[in-house]
Amino acid sequence: MSLDLKPRKWAGAIRTVTLGAGSRRPVTVGGGNGLPLHTFEGTFPHRPALALEITDVDPVRWAEAAREPWDGVLGRPAAAARRAVKDFGADLIMLDLMGTHPDRGNRSPEEAAADVRAVLDAVDVPLIVKGPGAGPQQNDVLARAAEEGKGEGLALHSASQEDYKTLAAVAVAYGHILVAESPIDMNIAKQLNILLSDASMDLSRTLIDPLTGGLGYGLEYTYSVMERIRLAALGGDAMLNSPMICLAGDEAWKAKEAKVPGAREPLWGDERQRGIHWEMATALALLEAGAEVLVLRHPETLARLRTQLDCWFGESPRGGQICR
Amino acid sequence: MPLTGLQIFKLLPNTNCRKCGYPTCLAFAMKLAAGRESLEKCADASAEARAALGAASAPPIRAVTIGRGERAVTVGEETVFFRHEKTFVHRPGLFRVLDASQAGCDALLDQWRGVSIARAGETFQIDGVAVVEAPGAPGVAAAAARRGFPVAVLAATPEGGAAIVEPIKDQRPLIVPPAGAAPGPYAALAARLSVPLVVSGADLAGLASAAVEAVKAGVADILLEPPGADLRALHHSLSAIRRGALDRVHPGLGHPVFLRVGLGEFEKAVLGITKFASVLAIEDQGGETWLPLWTLRQNIYTDPQKPLQMAPGLYPVGEPDSRSPLLVTTNFSLTYFIVSTEVEATGMAAHLAVVDAEGLSVLTAWAAGKLSGDRVAKSLRQMGAPELVSHRMVIIPGYASVISGELEDALGDGWRVLVGPQEASDLAPFLRDVWEPLRAA
Repeated sequence: MSLDLKPRKWAGAIRTVTLGAGSRRPVTVGGGNGLPLHTFEGTFPHRPALALEITDVDPVRWAEAAREPWDGVLGRPAAAARRAVKDFGADLIMLDLMGTHPDRGNRSPEEAAADVRAVLDAVDVPLIVKGPGAGPQQNDVLARAAEEGKGEGLALHSASQEDYKTLAAVAVAYGHILVAESPIDMNIAKQLNILLSDASMDLSRTLIDPLTGGLGYGLEYTYSVMERIRLAALGGDAMLNSPMICLAGDEAWKAKEAKVPGAREPLWGDERQRGIHWEMATALALLEAGAEVLVLRHPETLARLRTQLDCWFGESPRGGQICR
Repeated sequence: MPLTGLQIFKLLPNTNCRKCGYPTCLAFAMKLAAGRESLEKCADASAEARAALGAASAPPIRAVTIGRGERAVTVGEETVFFRHEKTFVHRPGLFRVLDASQAGCDALLDQWRGVSIARAGETFQIDGVAVVEAPGAPGVAAAAARRGFPVAVLAATPEGGAAIVEPIKDQRPLIVPPAGAAPGPYAALAARLSVPLVVSGADLAGLASAAVEAVKAGVADILLEPPGADLRALHHSLSAIRRGALDRVHPGLGHPVFLRVGLGEFEKAVLGITKFASVLAIEDQGGETWLPLWTLRQNIYTDPQKPLQMAPGLYPVGEPDSRSPLLVTTNFSLTYFIVSTEVEATGMAAHLAVVDAEGLSVLTAWAAGKLSGDRVAKSLRQMGAPELVSHRMVIIPGYASVISGELEDALGDGWRVLVGPQEASDLAPFLRDVWEPLRAA
């Protein structure tokens, strides 16, 4: 009996979105017309992109194992960006302006803009700029950052259903990408894209952040909502076919399992490797579910994932790694 | 495609021997077609008949059980490609590879037997032991089986495998031939001892036909070892096997999947757990590998139709005493985990009162009336929370702020309700800036 496995074809495809413009080396993601990573039956003109996360102030709550590779540059965004690109090989950078949060330093939009400028001057990869999160500061900080990075094709993270108008206008005015964040909810993700579309945002300049639950902390919700969004997109839903971005590193390293010393929980094993594995399991699962941009924290996770993607997308892996 | 009664009748011996309990083979065939009887009752059915009938009437992926007793691992019987379509049914068995040639296997097995980690309503343990063929392996496999472990035998030779499997055959060990070995002798062994067998193939077509051949050789329970030298090829195999099984494109694909995970191959294990592998034999032994894999399995195999719930009750964060804060949250597992993680990150010990809100998050529970002041007060009393603290202050989630008055009334007795932040991520400044000064006062 012969085995006849027919490739599955879909009506729709993921939009291509290009991050970075102006003085940036652009990175394009999306364009696939099959289930995530189904390279055996779909065509994927662009591979997923891997970002590393840097911060404007010292991220005191980061686990020791996550701080260690950044020793000496934590809270020095330009130096951290150089290390992320030159030493660790990040495709792009996410600058988390956490210090603009009222509880974490309350830095002003002006200071934030100066950090954006410093990072733009330090490296030539595309830049994702993350604001302090929901609240009055978000728009002020991101609008000022957007102005500073005019024409550089920044990705502004993020706009929500409740608060998108200012950022949509800012993104259009200064030529940026807007990340549309929804709370692990496909209907809201779609609704927000419709609203952005109505606000004359070109959806080929948006990314969906479905909100990441880290391993053990809601990963399965994110995983399934992403699979459903991808299926809708492949089915032809033009309001859900933006590429997805996941803040895998931040969510994974929040877990207590990524932080607790091995000595305190002997069954949990080595603390450093456990944290990297926690991040890897989160990131790889989300890649399988359809992430096109993964924001990571530990360079070893990035290096290992990059080897896998090199193999997956038919390039010989950098650094003489073998595919396995 | 189910067979009709007449199609089945043609496969039966047509001896009307009555050993099945029916007067004629035709009557038995009709019952089989209706799914009310099992072919097991026909003592003289040919292997061909078994193969054809098994394929037609069985679920798309056969169930396979390894081991016996309370630790037995049953896998297979999956019905969907995406977990959100229904749910994944049998979580994969995570077996730990044991090199039988090393010293101290008995002590190691005792240690492995004792591994038990409670997390979100599940107990993580080592599901089985995969014994590598070596001198001394028969004794080690028997020792593992005696401790209740389901055993997989990673054979190097048919003779060596037989020597390990035979003494424990009643414990339903899984025979795993070396990848690429001629399957014949192993299939004969599995058929003779009635134990499950792993089959492999150089490609998917080879794998599918190897499974069919094994069935013909009389092996009832089969696992498939997918081809794939790297993650991309393996992902292709795993996806194609699951889809092919559900679409019933080939009877050889309707079996659960077995995966070897070598030292340092963490990514492969992640792929296996998310993408349909049913038994994984993992060489790494450290908790830094196992804890994330157990947790990933817990996530992926959670029934997406049911909200993940915690048992209501008091959960300590750190080692709280009577001066520690008392916080209320709901019994939606995700809510609990996020709140407890945030509190833990502050370094402050606390009492976390998880009240029964039918597994809903705070905002949903409040909107649905499952988080009223009366309900919270009653719940706190039931768990003895008021006696735990001397300060008579309870912190409720910001989203439930409107119940504060009602809760104060219901608790009475001078209790004070503090409205905490809406987001758990703001608990640290809240505890520092609001709670601490109040406690000091």
